[in-house]
Amino acid sequence: MDGAPVSFLKRVDELSGSSKVRRSWFAFACAVFIIVIVVPSIFVVTKLFTDWGLVDSVINNDGIRDTVLSAVANSFSIALVVTVIDIVVGLPMAWIMVRKDFKGKKWLDTLLDMPLAFPTAVLGISVVMFWGAPEGVELPGLGIVVSPYVMMIFLHILFTYPYMVRSLSAILEQIEPNFETAAMTLGASKWTAFRTITLPLFRAGLATGFILCFARSLSETGGTYIALTMMGVESTFFTGPSFISWLKSDTSVYSADEMMGAQILISVIMIVLALLLLVVVRKAIAGFHIPLKKVWPDLGRKLSRGPLPKAKDVLTIAFLLVVVLLPAFYIFMYLTQPIPDIDYGVLLGSIATSFLVAGVAVAVDIVIGVPMAMYIARHRDGKLGQTLDGLVNVPLIIPTTALGFSLALFWGGFGLSESFALLLVILGHISFTYPLVVRNLIGAIEEVDPAYEEVAMTLGAKPFQAFRKVLFPIVKSAVIAGGILAFTRSLGETGATTAISNTVNTVPIYITKLVQSGDYTEAAMCSIVLIAICFVIMLVLRLVTSRRSGRDA
Amino acid sequence: MPEIILDDLRKEFDGVVAADGLSLTIGDGEYVCILGPTGAGKTTCMRMVCGLTKPDSGRVLMDGRDVTDDSVDSRNATMLSQTYALFPHLNVYDNVMFAPRIKEWPEDSSKQIVRSMLHMVHLEQKAEWKPGELSGGQQQRIALARALASGSKVLLLDEPLRALDARLRINLRKELRSMAKEMGLTCIHVTHDQDEALEMADKIAVIRKGRIIQFGTPREVFEDPATPFVANFVGRSNVIVGRVVESTPEGTIVETQSGMRFPARPSDLAAGDEAVLTVKVGFTKITRMQEGQPSAVCVGTIERILYEGVTVTVEIAVEGVGLLSAKLPNRKYEEYSPGDSVGVYWMPDKASVFPMPPEGIEDEMRLD
Amino acid sequence: MARIKLERISMRFGDFYAVRDISLDINNGEYVTILGPSGCGKTTLIKVISGIWRPTEGKVYVDGMDVTDIPMEDRDVGYVFQNIALFPHMSLKENVAYSPRVKDQGDEAMESLSTEYLELVGMLARAGMFPDELSGGEQQKVAIARALASGSKMLMLDEPLSALDARVRVELRYELRRLVKKLGITVLHVTHDQEEAMSVSDRIVLMRYGAIAEVGTPLEIYRRPKSVFAANFIGETNLLECTVSDKSKNGKTKLKLRGGEEIRASKTDFKVGDPVVISVRPEHVYTATDGLEAEVTAVVFMGTYWRVRTTAASRDFVEYNVSSDDEVPSIGDRVHLVFNKKAIVVFERPRGGIEGEIKLE
Repeated sequence: MDGAPVSFLKRVDELSGSSKVRRSWFAFACAVFIIVIVVPSIFVVTKLFTDWGLVDSVINNDGIRDTVLSAVANSFSIALVVTVIDIVVGLPMAWIMVRKDFKGKKWLDTLLDMPLAFPTAVLGISVVMFWGAPEGVELPGLGIVVSPYVMMIFLHILFTYPYMVRSLSAILEQIEPNFETAAMTLGASKWTAFRTITLPLFRAGLATGFILCFARSLSETGGTYIALTMMGVESTFFTGPSFISWLKSDTSVYSADEMMGAQILISVIMIVLALLLLVVVRKAIAGFHIPLKKVWPDLGRKLSRGPLPKAKDVLTIAFLLVVVLLPAFYIFMYLTQPIPDIDYGVLLGSIATSFLVAGVAVAVDIVIGVPMAMYIARHRDGKLGQTLDGLVNVPLIIPTTALGFSLALFWGGFGLSESFALLLVILGHISFTYPLVVRNLIGAIEEVDPAYEEVAMTLGAKPFQAFRKVLFPIVKSAVIAGGILAFTRSLGETGATTAISNTVNTVPIYITKLVQSGDYTEAAMCSIVLIAICFVIMLVLRLVTSRRSGRDA
Repeated sequence: MPEIILDDLRKEFDGVVAADGLSLTIGDGEYVCILGPTGAGKTTCMRMVCGLTKPDSGRVLMDGRDVTDDSVDSRNATMLSQTYALFPHLNVYDNVMFAPRIKEWPEDSSKQIVRSMLHMVHLEQKAEWKPGELSGGQQQRIALARALASGSKVLLLDEPLRALDARLRINLRKELRSMAKEMGLTCIHVTHDQDEALEMADKIAVIRKGRIIQFGTPREVFEDPATPFVANFVGRSNVIVGRVVESTPEGTIVETQSGMRFPARPSDLAAGDEAVLTVKVGFTKITRMQEGQPSAVCVGTIERILYEGVTVTVEIAVEGVGLLSAKLPNRKYEEYSPGDSVGVYWMPDKASVFPMPPEGIEDEMRLD
Repeated sequence: MARIKLERISMRFGDFYAVRDISLDINNGEYVTILGPSGCGKTTLIKVISGIWRPTEGKVYVDGMDVTDIPMEDRDVGYVFQNIALFPHMSLKENVAYSPRVKDQGDEAMESLSTEYLELVGMLARAGMFPDELSGGEQQKVAIARALASGSKMLMLDEPLSALDARVRVELRYELRRLVKKLGITVLHVTHDQEEAMSVSDRIVLMRYGAIAEVGTPLEIYRRPKSVFAANFIGETNLLECTVSDKSKNGKTKLKLRGGEEIRASKTDFKVGDPVVISVRPEHVYTATDGLEAEVTAVVFMGTYWRVRTTAASRDFVEYNVSSDDEVPSIGDRVHLVFNKKAIVVFERPRGGIEGEIKLE
């Protein structure tokens, strides 16, 4: 407690007493959010009007147009299939996580999150190796030959499934368990109670999970591109993001204008469709009427007791193990191989870059995200609050490749181009990690009784004092948890980074390059190193969050 | 000297009126209960006093000074919240120490204040505990100690006993009031529990639909209610609807549609006016029907008798009126049994008469 | 139709016994209240009876049949929750018709049962509304109708009135009793509110620390409590520490207060010299020209009477009531107090002191 910082804090305390100052600070955070995050993310849409010529030439070129359209179609159809599978298999899993108590639940809980800590590029390698080891891979796989489309579905389930289970569990936890108990004391079997009571109350959660998974699948670049490369189909089978990556890596096929036009077209289509989806899915799921009138007591009974529910639980866990966990962890099989020569200089350099980008992005997220989260959490009913709440989701929905491309175009207009590549990459990573931090914080703040701050103020605390002495210590662990989540996400991101620049060498980019040159073993080893780092971070996350729940209890 | 004046406060939330011209004067050192059903605007009223809610119009004065635009922290009005809101990351000692630290009082005197507050609530030995480790009653007392340690002369209590067990609540009423009195605080206590208000308050403000409908001592509010609602909300009442047939300085007589006549105290109503008569169940008496019992006002049959401890509640079905209740001392329990025919009566000056409320009797008597 | 018998029920969570070795018989059509402070195990007990939890030990019988292993959906127990738990996405009618629906009793039964029970609680006019359009008291009435419409012969009420306003609570408890008595069903009602328990029950089961402390009708428990805890928990009372100073041939006991003042009680089994505690309720304390000297410390208006608080010469705190029509003493006045001899209940003095015995949490 020495002089200078105290007096600074004190000045802030004093200033926070004025509602004008508070309002300006919030306005500033809003402005930063809009100008630095929202606008650059969707700036590319304006190119339709300013550079129609480029787009027009692509549309008039049958070859490119068909490729672009089929790439977008692939993206959306994969995302849809993956999301539906996630819901079907995720629901029983969420049920197990929330309503059941068993030994090893903690383990399952941790394992479930693991694929989130893996960079998707790594998952891409691991999945292809697991299902059918391609040429040039020494390890034996299952040897199942599947089409690129099916392989993409296997891959995308890996990193969307945990999101689905998490968001379904979150909603399930909020649904009063007494509703189900009440239904059962009224004679409903477990299954009927779930179908007629819990499921209808569940829609909001279903919408959130749907959008999260769909957007995640839609925007994934690194893993997809790597998997396609390993299968040797990267120049014949495209998804939207992988097409952009392919364009960047192989500049010989199309002219510069064609490339630009194709990228704009893909980005715009994906952004517009994704945003439409955000609206449509919410509306559709809210309006979807689960038929409630008819009940089948005998069927309900059969489904609630005896072997069927057990079989359902076993299948659910089996799916998690076989389709999600085993393929994700398969890459560790490389530890059985002789250690290859890795260019440690380059690897360490890329790790440093990754950490720099992720660190700066998360720090900025927290500073400008806290006032935003506080406002949204406390003004959920207001118009502005709802609008901001919706806007925060935008960078989450937009495919990161499109986001990166759009952002590069936007800042390029201000003369920030290749020479500022690192800065641009950081800005890009801020955009798509910001929602993760803010979402987490909103959730945490909403759970805190506003009476804490109010009482603090009636005890004489200025608003900022009430924040830093009462609210912040209470939500601190949520801030850290959100930060770590954003950090690992940034660490694993490929799409946005490539779309912005070719020169910034983060770890996933480095791995992608290794795969492209056929150095699978080296790529795998680098992946394992990266996973190890992510794993340590995840462990810290567990520790922090479990300490929080321990104190609440 | 903190005298608090609320002057014509208005507040609307999304079209719902929470304060509709609230005016109230609270004297220095007074313990005032704001009593009303859920959604009446009690909490809004209290929040406007400490500044957590800004009124749309009207003024809040403390010691004659207009504080309507002052910030919360500068008002020196401390809130005791319903959920206690003990800061979960601080132990008991640091919770109580919160205000002295914020106000940067000298360390020595702060420590002394905190110690003496903890002593007063009998929890010195729990100073190192975290709030989550305390029972509900203990948390409540720590919240009180924290509020008292802030040096504020105004204490706002937001349903401070609601979360506690019924029996504990009764014990803490006495404790809470005596501590507040000892410290010479001006208190505004929000509650929906009329027994709590009667027992604790110097004055009760009955609030409904954002308006104060009566402000007076517990005895005034209980014995001379301002509206039929107050009559039935603060202590149960028998309610009889009819028409005034006689209004003299000696008393009023109300006749029901079925032609039965009931006496009440004098009123401003004129013969022929539609009227509502209320009499507290505790002032309603019954008697064995005997020859020459002129005091009984009607005759009925006992439906059930409930033994409730200090009192016995007897429900009597009276033809043409419905069910009347009488609350008798418990020693009367053995005197009557269901099916008995009894006379029901009351002292005319214990019964109030009101003009028929414009919105009708149903709406007037709604309790929530 | 619904006789409930509990045989040595225990419910253990880890090492903690929420309920330990409880046996209880409940008659058909009886209204039994389970009363006790927070954490005494009262809710656990009715959850076990309803089948929401399976007891770790013991058996539950309904009408002589062992139902311990029958799942809750087949037990036919109406359950009403403290937080009401009406299904928010269904209208009142759909809520009440839920049980006939899941039992597939057909549209007619759904219609007639929901109408019948909504009518019974006086909510039929609002059958098409949704729960969030009602006040708390109204919601709870619908919840009761929903539980009754399942056709069950026993009703479990889990602190059904706790979430409501005090005044609504009072009104609803009279209505509740009227309702279930009319239907003749067996009711178990859990509450921490002794006033509520007194006015609704046929019988009160007082619980503490997971065990039954005392069982009796409201009258028995109020007039002749068997423990200091019960005397204090149910209704307010004055507790005074005494020693038995003398006993007559026919057992009439004289007691000495801490200040040496002597009071008379009725027959007891205590011996001269025994340390005891007496309980005497405020309505049985009167002022007289002679008696225990006391100084008035507070006078509180309670509605139909005044409560006078005094500190007696024996250092005991004694409270008594004065009718609101009578004259009230002022603070600082000296009064002489006498006790109604018949209403004095004498207990053995608890080893841990009175404070520990009457602790509420």
